Amino acid sequence: MKPVDLVRKLRREAAVKPAALDRGKAVLMAAIRQEVQPMRRPTIVPRLPYEDVGAALSFLERAFGFREVPAARGVRADGAIDHTMVEFGDGMIGLGAQGAHGAFSPKRAGTTTQYITVHVDDIDAHHQRALASGAEIVGRLHDHLRDYRVYEALDPEGHRWRFLQWLREVPQ
Amino acid sequence: MNSPSDAEVIRRSLGEPEAFGLVYDRHAATLLRFLGRRVGAGVAEGLVGELFRIAFERRKTFDGSRASALPWLYGIGSNLLLKHRRGEARRLRASAQMAAAGEAADRRASAAALDARLLFPRVADAIEALPDGEREALLLFAWEDLSYQSVAEALELPIGTVRSRLNRARAHLRKLLEPGGKNRERSR
Repeated sequence: MKPVDLVRKLRREAAVKPAALDRGKAVLMAAIRQEVQPMRRPTIVPRLPYEDVGAALSFLERAFGFREVPAARGVRADGAIDHTMVEFGDGMIGLGAQGAHGAFSPKRAGTTTQYITVHVDDIDAHHQRALASGAEIVGRLHDHLRDYRVYEALDPEGHRWRFLQWLREVPQ
Repeated sequence: MNSPSDAEVIRRSLGEPEAFGLVYDRHAATLLRFLGRRVGAGVAEGLVGELFRIAFERRKTFDGSRASALPWLYGIGSNLLLKHRRGEARRLRASAQMAAAGEAADRRASAAALDARLLFPRVADAIEALPDGEREALLLFAWEDLSYQSVAEALELPIGTVRSRLNRARAHLRKLLEPGGKNRERSR
C-alpha cells in the first residue's frame, strides 16, 4: 500500500454536535460585538462564590436566562471551571470557586449575607422559566403596592435572587 | 441569484463586522470536523470558536482574490493545533488501534490482520515522527482532501513547496515503514 493510502486509513470521521457549533458561534459573535461596541465594564461587579461553579453557571443560564461572557472562563487543571462571568441586560456578575478571596458559598457557610436584585422585562415569563428549571421560590410572585411585580428564588447553593419588573414603566 | 463569495462576504465585513457570521455558518461544521479528527471532539469544540475569532480579527489580511475562505481557515486551524500536539499524538495512536482492530475484524485470524496490528501503530508513529510542516501538509492533503493549491493557500506556501513537502513526507513514511526502519522512540 502507498504511504498516503496508509495515512488515509487512520482518518476518522468526526461527528458535529449542533450545540458545539452554537457555542463556537457565540465566541465569534462576542468578538464581533466587541469590535462594534467595545466591552462594557460596569463600575461595580459583584462576585459570587460557589462550591461548583460549572453547575452554578448552567443553572443560572437555564433558570434565569443569564449568559456567560465569552472568554471570561478560567478552567482548572482538572477541567472544572474555576471562575467565569455572566451578563444579563447591562449587568454583570462574576462566579468563582469558594475559598478564594475569603468568600464562601451559602451552602457551606449556612447563611446568606446578601441578595441581588435583577430587573427583568417579563416577570411572569421569567418566573415560569425559573420554576420549570427547579429554582427554589422563596418569595412568591406578587405585586408590591402598585410599583413593581417581584419574586425571590434561591439558586442550588443558596444564593438569593430577587427578580422584579417595574409596573409603572408598562404603558397604561 | 448567486450567493456572494466568501471574498465578497469578508470584504463586506470590513465595514459591517456582523456579516462575518456568514463565514461561520458556511464553514464551521467542516472546520469542527477537521479539528475533531485531529484532537477529538472535546478539544475541537473549544477550538472552533477560537479559530473563527482569530479569522475575524485577521480578516483584513484575507487575500480577496481567493473566492473560498476555506483553505485560509484550515491554515488558522493548523496553527491552533500546534498547541495541542500531545493530544493529537494520543489520538493518532488510538486511531491506529481502531484501524488495526477494524482490519482484524474484516479478515479474522488471517496473516493480514496480524500485519495490520503491527502496521497501523507504525504508521501512526511514522506520521508523528514527520517534521511539523510535512505532517501538516500531508494530513491536509490525505485527510481533508485539499488540493495542492488549497494546501498551499492554507499553509501560505508556494505550490512548489507543498509539492516537495508532500514528496518528502511520502519518502519519510516509506523509510519509516520499512522493516527495521527507524521509528522515533516512544517515551515511557
